[in-house]
Amino acid sequence: MMKGNLIEKTTAWERFNHWVLAVSFLILFFTGLGFLYQSLNWINTIFGGNHLASAIHKWTGLVFTLSLILTLGSYFGEAIRFTSEDSKWISSLGGYFSKEMEPPPQGKLNAGQKLFYLIVVVLFGATSAFSGFIIWLFPDSRGLILFAHFLHNISYVVFAFAVPLHIYLGTAANPGTFRVMTRGTVTAAWAKKHHGRWAKDMGIE
Amino acid sequence: MALETTEIKRRLSGVDVLTRKKGLLISPELCIGCRGCQTACKEWNKLPGDRTSNRGTYENPPDLTPNLYNKIRFLEVTGGDTVKWLFVSQRCMHCTDAGCMKVCPAPGALYRTAEGAVAFDRNKCIGCRFCVAGCPFNIPRYDQEGRIAKCHLCSDRIPYGLQPACAKTCPTGAIRYGDREELMGIAKEAGYKTVYGTTDLGGLGVLYAFRERPSYYGLPDSPSFSPTIALWKNILKPLALIGLGGAVAAAAAHYVTIGPKEVDEGGEE
Repeated sequence: MMKGNLIEKTTAWERFNHWVLAVSFLILFFTGLGFLYQSLNWINTIFGGNHLASAIHKWTGLVFTLSLILTLGSYFGEAIRFTSEDSKWISSLGGYFSKEMEPPPQGKLNAGQKLFYLIVVVLFGATSAFSGFIIWLFPDSRGLILFAHFLHNISYVVFAFAVPLHIYLGTAANPGTFRVMTRGTVTAAWAKKHHGRWAKDMGIE
Repeated sequence: MALETTEIKRRLSGVDVLTRKKGLLISPELCIGCRGCQTACKEWNKLPGDRTSNRGTYENPPDLTPNLYNKIRFLEVTGGDTVKWLFVSQRCMHCTDAGCMKVCPAPGALYRTAEGAVAFDRNKCIGCRFCVAGCPFNIPRYDQEGRIAKCHLCSDRIPYGLQPACAKTCPTGAIRYGDREELMGIAKEAGYKTVYGTTDLGGLGVLYAFRERPSYYGLPDSPSFSPTIALWKNILKPLALIGLGGAVAAAAAHYVTIGPKEVDEGGEE
């Protein structure tokens, strides 16, 4: 949809839910860090001590899970459509490591965004949510708790690697991109550069 | 004054735990099953009785509870045409390499005393029960408020020169308190083949003088906690920080070397 010179890339609902997911994630990530490392336990002092941090971690986990489920309607359909332009995006590493290797025009989501969404957000998001609920709701099953504790930590490691990169790619690495999650609109030039096929579909030549 | 000294000792703990370690020596063959230790423990720790029902055995209660830190298990072992009745004290083993302490996410909820025991601070416990999953002996219990409860080797007695309530009250010497090294010597001198806990889990604080295999007395032959705990502690945990630091550093390095993908807005405006 065109709004003057600007094109709408995300709806108000998508932006709202993205921030619910992002803020709940950060709360979970940092309280988790406080529980993981004794030397970083001061983080949980900021959250009101270990008891309150524990309660915040649990209930924020519920918000995160609901928000995660609601993202499926926004991105899942697009993310599972994998085409040859996606493979080319991957083989050119998204054009991030050389100015010469320009990936082919991308759809509304590029291959990197699709993989981030499917693997990091959906797969490991669900893994951490699932294991978190086991830890929360079935504290008496010893074997199950160990398994869940392990899964919870594997997904934590994945988030620790992937989310800072996601934040970088959505802000400093791609000027003009952060608007997608604040105002929801992008310029025509931005659309052509980053999502050429989508821009074409939107009627921008 | 004395308390402050204990606090300082507690902070210094973790250094050469094994050489300073105090502990108990349990000799099932000396035990007469009087359960004075159960009672003395309850008395010192001000723990209420648990309502139980008759199960046709003198053993009572059937298992450790949040109000029972130390329990005598009654085992009937049949072999050939004889029956042996064994009394084995069950409680926290105060492992040197303690699975519970490894997984506990609330600093200070479980801590190492100056004497090498694993004590707890119920006010710091957040009730996650990871320690239950991490314990190779299934010892920690949770009270009604969801806080940990277990034997703490009378951490509020031994800094003051008293021995643990169970050892103090034991009339036969089946529970003996002292320096761990000394206790091992006593057991060997008495001619016991196996001193259970000598090397298990870095050396247990509770040693057992056994004539048979540990499993004969209802204890695991080679106690260990789940390998996922070591994998988590040694690999996943550091990897999380490396990942976080690495990803931030990689992003910064990318920004200043290759640089961002600028969009040329010139022609559009």
